[in-house]
Amino acid sequence: MKNFCKIIFIFILFILLTGCYDKAELEQQSYVIAIGLDKGEKEGTFSFTFQIANPEVGSTLSAGSDEEAEETISITGNDIVTATNTANSFVTKRIVLDQTKVIVVSEELARSEDFLRVIQSASRTPQIRRGVEMIVSKEKASDFLNNNDPKMEQRPHKYYQYMLNRAKQTGIIPEADLHRFFQITEGDADLFLAIYATTEKAETEDTGTEDEYIAGQIPQEGGNVTQFMGSAVFKEGMLIDIIDGQETRICNTLDKTMGMEELLSTYPDPIAPKYRISADYSQKEEPVIDVSYNKKTNHAKISVTVSFNLEILAIPSMIDYAQNEKNQKILRKSIEKNLENKTKELIQISQEEYGSDPFYWSLYIRKFFKDIPAYEKGDWNKKIFPNAEIDVNFVLKRLDFGKMLNDSNLNDVRD
Amino acid sequence: MARLLHSQKSNKKTPAKKETLYKDAKQNAEEIKRLFSHGTNEDFISRELIAAFNKKKVYLFFYSSIVNSNSIEEFVIKPLLEEEGESVSDVITNKDITQISDYQQAIENINNGKVIIFIDGDDNGYGMEVSQFQHRAIGKAENESVIKGPKEAFTESLYVNMSLVRKQIRDKQLITELTSIGERAKQSVILVYVDDLVNDEVLENVKNRIKNIEIDTVRNVELLEQLIEERPNSIFPSILYTERPDNAAAYLENGYIVILMDNSAACLILPVTFWDFFHNPEDRYTRYIFGNLTRLIRFLGLFLTTMISAIYVALANFHSEMIPPDLLLAITAARERVPFPLIMEILIMEIAFELIREAGIRIPNPLGPTIGIVGALILGQAAVEANVISPIIVIVAAISGLSSFAISDVSLNYSVRISRFIFILAAGFMGMFSLIGVFLLLFMYAASLKSFGIPFFAPVAPNYKSQGDTLFRKVLRAEIWRPTYVTQKDIQKKKKN
Repeated sequence: MKNFCKIIFIFILFILLTGCYDKAELEQQSYVIAIGLDKGEKEGTFSFTFQIANPEVGSTLSAGSDEEAEETISITGNDIVTATNTANSFVTKRIVLDQTKVIVVSEELARSEDFLRVIQSASRTPQIRRGVEMIVSKEKASDFLNNNDPKMEQRPHKYYQYMLNRAKQTGIIPEADLHRFFQITEGDADLFLAIYATTEKAETEDTGTEDEYIAGQIPQEGGNVTQFMGSAVFKEGMLIDIIDGQETRICNTLDKTMGMEELLSTYPDPIAPKYRISADYSQKEEPVIDVSYNKKTNHAKISVTVSFNLEILAIPSMIDYAQNEKNQKILRKSIEKNLENKTKELIQISQEEYGSDPFYWSLYIRKFFKDIPAYEKGDWNKKIFPNAEIDVNFVLKRLDFGKMLNDSNLNDVRD
Repeated sequence: MARLLHSQKSNKKTPAKKETLYKDAKQNAEEIKRLFSHGTNEDFISRELIAAFNKKKVYLFFYSSIVNSNSIEEFVIKPLLEEEGESVSDVITNKDITQISDYQQAIENINNGKVIIFIDGDDNGYGMEVSQFQHRAIGKAENESVIKGPKEAFTESLYVNMSLVRKQIRDKQLITELTSIGERAKQSVILVYVDDLVNDEVLENVKNRIKNIEIDTVRNVELLEQLIEERPNSIFPSILYTERPDNAAAYLENGYIVILMDNSAACLILPVTFWDFFHNPEDRYTRYIFGNLTRLIRFLGLFLTTMISAIYVALANFHSEMIPPDLLLAITAARERVPFPLIMEILIMEIAFELIREAGIRIPNPLGPTIGIVGALILGQAAVEANVISPIIVIVAAISGLSSFAISDVSLNYSVRISRFIFILAAGFMGMFSLIGVFLLLFMYAASLKSFGIPFFAPVAPNYKSQGDTLFRKVLRAEIWRPTYVTQKDIQKKKKN
């Protein structure tokens, strides 16, 4: 009986003590899906925008709810976490950042020196995950988040999840999680590519190719105004340039740490230059990056071999590439040449303008150094990469022509 | 006062031990009649007759409710009346006849369904086995049902149960040793073991424990189990309780001890380990792969039933970042209208489920379907619609309740259900941190337990040579050894190839 009383007593204590520590009920928290970072009006202050998901939208229980799917608020402050507290002056629940999917940075802030000051707090707080994707928006981040109005995926976390996943698969945007950002920035070599996006329409110039755009330039009718295309290039924690979708794709093909699944692209028709040939580019093997380094001269020779497969999807010129071997040879050469040239252009820009590479190639030179100080003394960014001799080879392993080899004969059809 | 004491003494109905019989049969008959309250006791029968072989008066006593009256007539009364011969044992054709020299024996004989006779001029009485206790016929195992495997279950008769066990093991070494317990009303307890396999230490231990029970009555093995176990306060059982003779036989073959009693449609098996509670006979009757699949599912069930509610509490209250956003928002949306803290929600549903279970067992059969309607409708749907609990709680409680049935052993089932509540409270205290802490404490406690000297997690920890039947079992052909933590005698049960 005495024992029994003791057990009951402990049981009651348990119930009383339950609820201490950092317990928090789910419904007493607001879940931020996207964080926007802008420059504040005063020097040293920033404007933070939080896009908070409304749990009632999209769950079957409250199908009749006519509330908005998200609430977007902006507040000025010094860092992200304290801003959540200030925001509680008009947000009803505790704001938690655990579920954040993206951090949107305005181009203006990203180009300034202050950017590193504000983003470093993201690495300090355990609330923000390292997997959060970084988006650079052409306009202010608060405008971006407010204008973004997906029609199908109303719930913001789903929108970002699907949108970014698919865009990454097609290679038009890079993988840009916060972890990678800190890794590259701290490593003091290479360039970090952030996702570039905008909700503003820019002057559209119809280039005729499908991926030589940056966000905002793509001629679009209907749908959500938000476009994700291209990348923002960060050097040492500061934005230095924007590259378009095609260049981003090249970066993805040359960088072993990036995953890219498929790439539908067009190439100039070598025989009928008026037309372009569409093809499905796939890269089954990783590119071979062969680095040789001369310690005395601090000079590197990098030779890159990319083997790829191609499946032709459309030949609008209706020239027989499938069965005419001579034509096929011309096509092969032309595509390889085309890819090599574009790549070389990008490498030239990065060597001469950026002074570093967006391909994370510094990984392959590190093995030539004894320790970190020696590697730092070698200086990839300033000395090795800009002067490196880089040779790029694209090797077309397999060329397929789809299930029908012959195109319709135009003359036969129109007689 | 002295007279009162005296009269009490002369009227007492239990004779002192070894009070020998009188020389006179008539006097004995009077004493027996007095002891058994003849006249008041409806089914206590006394009969007098003149034996044909020596023309002397014979007194018969028996309980009419527990003897076979045909046997009495045919094998006792008829020969006494008709047959000629030298002595009683010559005349009586009954299968078994014992001499009685004191009242204690006489009383036991009558209580155990024998007929006793006193003959004029004979110093001794005689007891003859004619008992026929009424009991249920052998039925199907209801609590431990299997699809593939024998269907017979023990029934509430000691001799039937012994027969069921002996049918499984036809071995002359299979011993059924009788002891009796109870100070007042004695009951027979049968220890069954294979003599050249059993662990003598454990056997001695059990015998001592049974001998040391000083209690008026012990009616069945369910009560006996509680009287011989080592730790009555422990939440883990230390004796296996099974209603399947084939299960008992499987243990006997490995050197375990089985205890049988009248009035129990089950037996006790000891010593046991955690794995014995976890196993089900069907695991061995189905093929290797199939049996192990069931084991895997049962282990999943064990995990889910103990942990799922607790993990849900821990995640939702302390680690919301671990829940994927879709689910998180769905739970949050549902929880916005619920008045209780999440842990209360869980406790309400878990207790409701326990109520349904308890009511389901106790409810009279004709009312059975009602409980389903009440349970499913009121507790499931209506509670959600009334915003008393959120729908996900119903799922969590249903999974945890349902998977608890995967643990077929009654005793372990209780342990699991109790530990579930402990874990829920622990998770509500400091989340995953305290949940893991309490789990470790409970696990350490379980590992420290011993059942009649055998560690609870043997043969895994500590490691012993055994047939390797723990979480998963081996192919039957690869089971070479007997569990050496139980028996040391003949440890190889199959030739190595």
